[in-house]
Amino acid sequence: MFLVEYLLKRLAQGVVIVFLTSLIIFTLLRVVPGDPVRLIVGGMANDTVVKEVAEKMGLRDPIIVQYGRYIAGVVQGDFGQSYVRPRNGMVVAGGEYIDPTKSNMAPVIDLVVERLPLTLMLAGMSLVFALLVSVPLGIFGGLYPNRWPSSLALLVQSVFVSIPNFWLSIVLILFLSVKLGWMPALGYQGFAYVLLPAIVLAVEICPFLIRTLTVSLGEIMQAPFIDEARVRGLSRWRIVIGHALRNAAVPLVNLLGMQLSVLIGGVLVVEYIFDYPGLGHLTVLSVVARDFPLIQGIAILTSAVFVFINILVDLITYAIDPRVEL
Amino acid sequence: MTISPAADPSVVLKAPALRERSVGYRILAEAMRNTGFRVGLGILLLIVLASAIYPEVTSLSATKISVREKFLPPILFGEKWSFLHPLGTDQLGRDMLLRCLIGLRYSFFIGVTTVVLMFCVGCALGLVAGYKGGWWDTIIMRITDAQLSVPMIILAISILGVSTPSVLTIIIVLGLSGWPLYARVARGLAITERSREYVRGLRVLGAADLRIMLLFIAPNILPGIAFVAVLDVARMMIFEAILGFLGLGVQPPTPSFGTIISDARKYLINAWWIATMPGLFLTLVLVSINLMGSALEKARNRIYGGAS
Repeated sequence: MFLVEYLLKRLAQGVVIVFLTSLIIFTLLRVVPGDPVRLIVGGMANDTVVKEVAEKMGLRDPIIVQYGRYIAGVVQGDFGQSYVRPRNGMVVAGGEYIDPTKSNMAPVIDLVVERLPLTLMLAGMSLVFALLVSVPLGIFGGLYPNRWPSSLALLVQSVFVSIPNFWLSIVLILFLSVKLGWMPALGYQGFAYVLLPAIVLAVEICPFLIRTLTVSLGEIMQAPFIDEARVRGLSRWRIVIGHALRNAAVPLVNLLGMQLSVLIGGVLVVEYIFDYPGLGHLTVLSVVARDFPLIQGIAILTSAVFVFINILVDLITYAIDPRVEL
Repeated sequence: MTISPAADPSVVLKAPALRERSVGYRILAEAMRNTGFRVGLGILLLIVLASAIYPEVTSLSATKISVREKFLPPILFGEKWSFLHPLGTDQLGRDMLLRCLIGLRYSFFIGVTTVVLMFCVGCALGLVAGYKGGWWDTIIMRITDAQLSVPMIILAISILGVSTPSVLTIIIVLGLSGWPLYARVARGLAITERSREYVRGLRVLGAADLRIMLLFIAPNILPGIAFVAVLDVARMMIFEAILGFLGLGVQPPTPSFGTIISDARKYLINAWWIATMPGLFLTLVLVSINLMGSALEKARNRIYGGAS
């Protein structure tokens, strides 16, 4: 009963946050210069056409009116339609003119849903790679403070956090794809195309995981209950796996929630470089094209995911360690 | 007959001396004992000095094109390398080392200023939220959550994509999108400080809220946050490079790490060093900053852990 009440409260707060986010993004997009209508009708169109289309699309109304109209749609599950992407999947080129006020533009929700699985796969793979590297390093770093495993952990973490992701992408493309021909690099035509971007993302996540794991495990190994377990005669590995790791997992799970925005930022850049047709790629293109509905839709969905994952993280933390206050 | 502690002169002299040293000084002294910190500081000082002096004294130009010297490989690679261009030259014959050093000036300036801005905005809001509590807290922290849930990079590229990117706009955009973490940390610390004895004492004495916050709580909590902020300088420098890479950073012909690497993608196969060297250079700088940052963080934890 307590849990249900808690969940309802968190969900209500989450909805408020998502609304705030959408308001911030909505206002920002319209306050900064750059008229989407100009991009839709093309540079050659004269001012009367621009004015006409803008009025037809309601882009000259006060921001708050536009926001109200937009959010009314969102509540009913309608995220609007893209300004520049027609249903048939082609991006409007300079020459042809597709009337954006008509209904032949792709709905935002379709565009996003189409790309989402690819991005989730990328994120999942990179998380797997990151855990494979950072869990052993973090555990040994935490178990042997002030000896070489912890120095190694510190070194790996300092170097990984310092490598710019776009540079690493280029270097990996140069060596692994161009010189050695081990894996494909650009585009997406099958599972192998996920590997390279996932490695780059994993390098970006690793430092945070290693750091948290070393610090929290190091602290826990000093705790009285570990000494007590030793006195009881439990083997070293039994103590580490059964007693210490469970406690060290709490900050790790918390961190995964917090670092989600780093992951999203990385996804954006990496997908752009590798031409990987996921959500990040879509975001960059929609920002460049001033495709307001698409940017808003992506921003709202991202913040909803962010809120949801953070609630999930708190629940998992609670499941691992019931002493944690919800 | 027992000797009282007061009679032993060393004890009397030592105790106040320890207390008089500021927290910041003690953290620095503690960090200096760390090898990683000294190595990082050495490399960073060397490179920063080089970027301050070398471009001023050299006869080479970072923007002037000289076709005859294009695509020279870095030292010890290929055939045509020379000591004049240790990192080689780019597609227009410009010296890579010089371009890296000038790029570093902008990158470093943007990184430091951005972190200062983030620090000021975030800590001020967090301090108010934590100290005042109630509605202040709720409103400020919900805004913080909302800001946190929009990934910084989406915000940055949506704003910089349309306004002309200049050093100032980059600093403002990065600074304004990075403050929430500082607000959270400052709030947490302010809440614990609020219930301390000295704050209650000050309240009883009738000190104004602003006075308590600025003169008494801030000096207690800010140094600890400031030392960890060193790590954020490196993060912001990477961000600046990413923006440059996407074409939203400092505009050419001014060299910046992002634009150099982005332009060099075209010559990746023939002249690999144009894209890789600036990245290596930047990574070296960032590693040294990160080594310093993590040593400072450790030192801070030790000092604060010992003090409280």
